Amino acid sequence: MFIRKAAYVALAVMTVVSLLAACAPPTPQVIREEVVVEKEVPVTVEVEKEVVVEKVVTATPVPAKPKIVTISFTQEPDNLNPLYTSMWFSMILREFYLANGLLVYNDENAPIPWIAREIPSVENGGISADSKTLTFHLRDDVKWSDGVPLTAEDYVFTWQMIMSDRNTVQSRDPFDVAVESVEAPDPYTLVVKFYEPYAPWQAKIFSNVNMTNALPKHILEPIFQKDGTLDNADWNRRPTVGVGPFLFKAWESGSHLIFEANPNFWLGKPKVDQIFVRIVPDDAAQVAAIKAGDTDIGVFISYADIPDLQALGTVDLPKVSSGYKESWFFNLSTREDKTKGHLALQDPKVRQAVVMAVDRNKICQDLLYGMTRPAITFWDGTPFANPALKGIPYDPEGAKKLLDEAGWKVGADGIREKDGVKLKLRYATTVREVRKNTQVIVQQMWKDVGIDSELINHSSDIMWNSYGDGGPIATGQYDVAEWSTCPAFPDPDTATWLCKEVPSDENPAGGNWQFFCDEELDVLFAQQMSTVDTEARMKLFYDIGKIIEDQVYWISMWDDPDIWTVSKKLKNVRFSGATPFWNSYEWDKTE
Amino acid sequence: MTRYIIRRILQAIPLLLIISALLFVLMQEMGDPLATFGGRRVLRSEDRVRLTRQLGLDKPVYVQYLVWLVGNDWMKIDLDGDGVAESYGTRKGMIRGDFGTSFVTRRPVIEVIKERLPNTLLLMLTSQVVILIVALIIGITSALKQYSAFDHVTTGLSFVGYSMPIPLLAIGLMYLFAVNFKKWGLPYLPTVGMFEPGAGRTIPQLIWHMVLPVTAISTISIAAYSRYIRASMLEVINQDYIRTARAKGLRERIIMYRHAFKNAALPLVTLVGLDLPMLLGGAIVTEGIFAWPGMGRLFLDHTVRADFPVLMGILMMISVAVVIFQIITDIAYTFLDPRIRYD
Repeated sequence: MFIRKAAYVALAVMTVVSLLAACAPPTPQVIREEVVVEKEVPVTVEVEKEVVVEKVVTATPVPAKPKIVTISFTQEPDNLNPLYTSMWFSMILREFYLANGLLVYNDENAPIPWIAREIPSVENGGISADSKTLTFHLRDDVKWSDGVPLTAEDYVFTWQMIMSDRNTVQSRDPFDVAVESVEAPDPYTLVVKFYEPYAPWQAKIFSNVNMTNALPKHILEPIFQKDGTLDNADWNRRPTVGVGPFLFKAWESGSHLIFEANPNFWLGKPKVDQIFVRIVPDDAAQVAAIKAGDTDIGVFISYADIPDLQALGTVDLPKVSSGYKESWFFNLSTREDKTKGHLALQDPKVRQAVVMAVDRNKICQDLLYGMTRPAITFWDGTPFANPALKGIPYDPEGAKKLLDEAGWKVGADGIREKDGVKLKLRYATTVREVRKNTQVIVQQMWKDVGIDSELINHSSDIMWNSYGDGGPIATGQYDVAEWSTCPAFPDPDTATWLCKEVPSDENPAGGNWQFFCDEELDVLFAQQMSTVDTEARMKLFYDIGKIIEDQVYWISMWDDPDIWTVSKKLKNVRFSGATPFWNSYEWDKTE
Repeated sequence: MTRYIIRRILQAIPLLLIISALLFVLMQEMGDPLATFGGRRVLRSEDRVRLTRQLGLDKPVYVQYLVWLVGNDWMKIDLDGDGVAESYGTRKGMIRGDFGTSFVTRRPVIEVIKERLPNTLLLMLTSQVVILIVALIIGITSALKQYSAFDHVTTGLSFVGYSMPIPLLAIGLMYLFAVNFKKWGLPYLPTVGMFEPGAGRTIPQLIWHMVLPVTAISTISIAAYSRYIRASMLEVINQDYIRTARAKGLRERIIMYRHAFKNAALPLVTLVGLDLPMLLGGAIVTEGIFAWPGMGRLFLDHTVRADFPVLMGILMMISVAVVIFQIITDIAYTFLDPRIRYD
C-alpha cells in the first residue's frame, strides 16, 4: 500500500514538474512560412523596443523541411553584449546576430571591408598624413533588424559606453590608452583620432575580434539614461535587434541559443533558416553527438578523437589557426624575493640547452597524432613571422655540450650542478591532460641530459591569478611554465614582454610574468605600435622575432590551431581564424 | 508541534548567517574572478585595475561580505577611480533578497538560478522517484527472499552498480543506446540536450531525452538504497513483534507492509531527508555529459570562473533546503514512530 501511494505521489510530482518544465518560456519554433518583404519595411519603435514590422506575406509554398544548422559549444557564452565579454564562444556568435565590425577577416585571415566601404589607407585619404586620424566611410544600405539605419552615431555611442565609468565593460582596449576622440561628422562618416599613430587599428577599432562591435544606440541609449548603466540591459541577454545574417531568437540558459535567418540582411537572406547552438560541455559527449549526426559543427576537438572522427567519413576536420601557440616561458627574475627563478636560466645558452634537450616533433607525433608541429616564431601563420628564422633543433648532445660550457657539470647522482646548486627546474602548467603527458615526456628527456625537474600543475582559475592575487605564475613560482597564448591576433601586437608589465608590489596587475626587461625589445615594441605602414611594421617584427629566438625568451611546444568538425552536409563553410563565422550568410545545407 | 517548528526555524537564522560568513570567507580561496576575464588571453593590467574597483573586489573581505549581506545602497562608492567615493551603490544585499550579480553574466544571481532550477528538479525528482520505487522493490524482495537466487543476483548487481564510475556509465549508455543503436538501425535514444532543434520543448521530447540521464543517475543510487532497505528489513522481520503478528494470524502482506516496512522505513526516511536537499544542487557529472541545463552544470561552470556571487547563491539555497528538510524529516519520524514526540 505504502509503495503504491508513494508511486502515485511520485507520479503526480513528476507530472507537475514535467508540465512546469514544458511550460517554461516557450522555445520559438522554426520559421515555417516564407516571408517575402516586397517593399521598404515601415517600422514603429516603442520604448521597450517592442517592434511592429509590417510584412507582406505571399502564398509561397511552405518549405518541406527547414534548414537547421546545429553547432555544439563546449562552453556557454556568458553575455551577448560585446562590451561585457571576452569569451571566444561569445565572440564567434556575434558574426551571426551583430556582424557590424568595420572590417572582417576572411578565411585567409586577411581584412576585408565590411561596414566600412573600403579599408582606410594613406592613398585613399582614410589615413591622415600624420597617421593620427582615421576616416571610415560606412555603407549606407545597412539597417538594424527593426529598420533603423546603422550609422556612425552607433559607433560613437559604443565608444562612449566603453569609456563610461558606469559600465563594468570587460576591456577598454585600446580606447583608454590610444584614442583621443571618435566623431561622426555625418551619418556615414566615422572619424577616429589617436594621440599617437596607432598600428593595430584594423583589429582593434570597432572590430568583432576586439569586442567593439557597434551597439544599437536607439535601443540602448534610453536604457543607459534610465538605469545609469548598461550592465543590466535586457539587450545584453536578448539582442533581438541586430544587423547580422541571422537574428537572435532565444537563449535558454545552459541548453541552447537560436538564431533565425535575417530576411533583410544587406547581402541577401542566408540560405539556411536557423542556427541552433547547443551547449555540450563534455568533450566525450560532443564527440558522441558528432558521431550520431546530432551536431553539424563542433569545435575544440581533442587530438585523441581525430583518427576516430576521420574514419567516420561524414565530417570534415578543418584546422584553423587563430594565432595560438602552446608556449614555454622562462622565469628570468633575479629579484631577491619570492619571484626569483633558477639561476641557471639567466644564461641564454642554458635556456637553449633546455630546449635542445626536448624532441618537440616527437611530442607532436606521439601526443598530438602528428596533427601539428612546433611553431618557430610567436607570429607564425601571419605576415609578421620572420621567414629567416629556423628555430632551435632537437640536439641532446649539443645540449650537453652547452650545459658543460656554461659550467653545469654532471654530479654523482647524474644531475648537473654548479657551485653546489642543482639544475632542478620547476615545470608548471595547467591540469589539461595533454600538458600533463607532455610534462612527463619532457621530464624524461631532460633527465637524459642531466636536468632534474619538479612537475607542478594548477587548475586554470588558479594558474592565471594576478601577482596581486598571488597567482603562482605571476609571482614567479616556476622556472619553466607552459600554456597556450597568442598575440592580439590577427594583429601582431603583444604586451607579454614589455618592461612596464613586469609585476611588482607597485604593479600587481603586470602581465610580464617572465620578469625580464630587454630594453632593445622594448624600443622595438614601442616603434611597431606607432608604425602604421604594414611593410615597415613587418620588418620591426622580424627584428623582434630574431631577438626572442637568439635570447631564447620564448619557445613554442606546438602550433595550436582550432580543430573543427563540419558535417559533409554543409556547404560553403569557410572559417576564419579571427572571425570564424564571417561567411555564415553563404552557408548551405543539403540532406 | 507548531511551537517546535517555529523554534527550529528561529534557531536556523543564526545558523545560516554563520554558514554564509564561513562560505564567503572560503570563497576567497576559490581563485581570482578576474583571472578568466581576458578570455583566451591574460587580462590587460589597466582593465584588471578598473574592474577590481568597479566590482568591489578591492575592498577587504569583511566589507565585501557586508555588502553581500546588507547591500551598498547606503554607502558611497568610487566609480571613476579618482579615490573619491562619489555615488551611492545599487546593491540591496542578501537580507533584502538581492544575492548580487554574477561576475560572468552580469545578471542577478536569483535570475541565473531560477532559469536552471526547474530543469534540475525535473531530472533529479524523476530520478529520485525511479530510485525509490526500484530500490524498494529490490530491497524488500531480497530481504523477504534472503539467500534466494534473486537475492544473490541483486546483491551482486548492486555491488557492480555501486562501484560503477558515473562518467563511464553515462558515456557507455550514450554510446550503446544513442550512437551504436543508430548505427545498427535500431530505435535509438538522443545523445544530448532536452529536445531536438526542430521539435521544440514538448513533453514527449523531454521524456525521451530524460531516459539516459535518469538511468545513469539512478543506477548507482538504486544499488545503495536497495542495500539499506534490505538490511533494515532483515533487522525488523526478525523482531518479536513480527513473530507476534504472525501468531495473531495476520496475513503476510499486512505483516510485511504495515508492521515490518513501516519500522524499517525510519532509516530510509533519514537517508531521503538528507538526500533531497542535495537534489537542488543537481548532478554535476551527468548534467555535463548529457548537456542537461541544470544546477550541477551551473555550479561547475561558475566554479571554474570563481563567480562567487552565483556560488554563494547556490550554496545558500542548498543550506536553507537542508535546514527545511531536516525539520520535515523530524516531523516524518513522528508519523512513522508514535514514540517520538517533540512537544
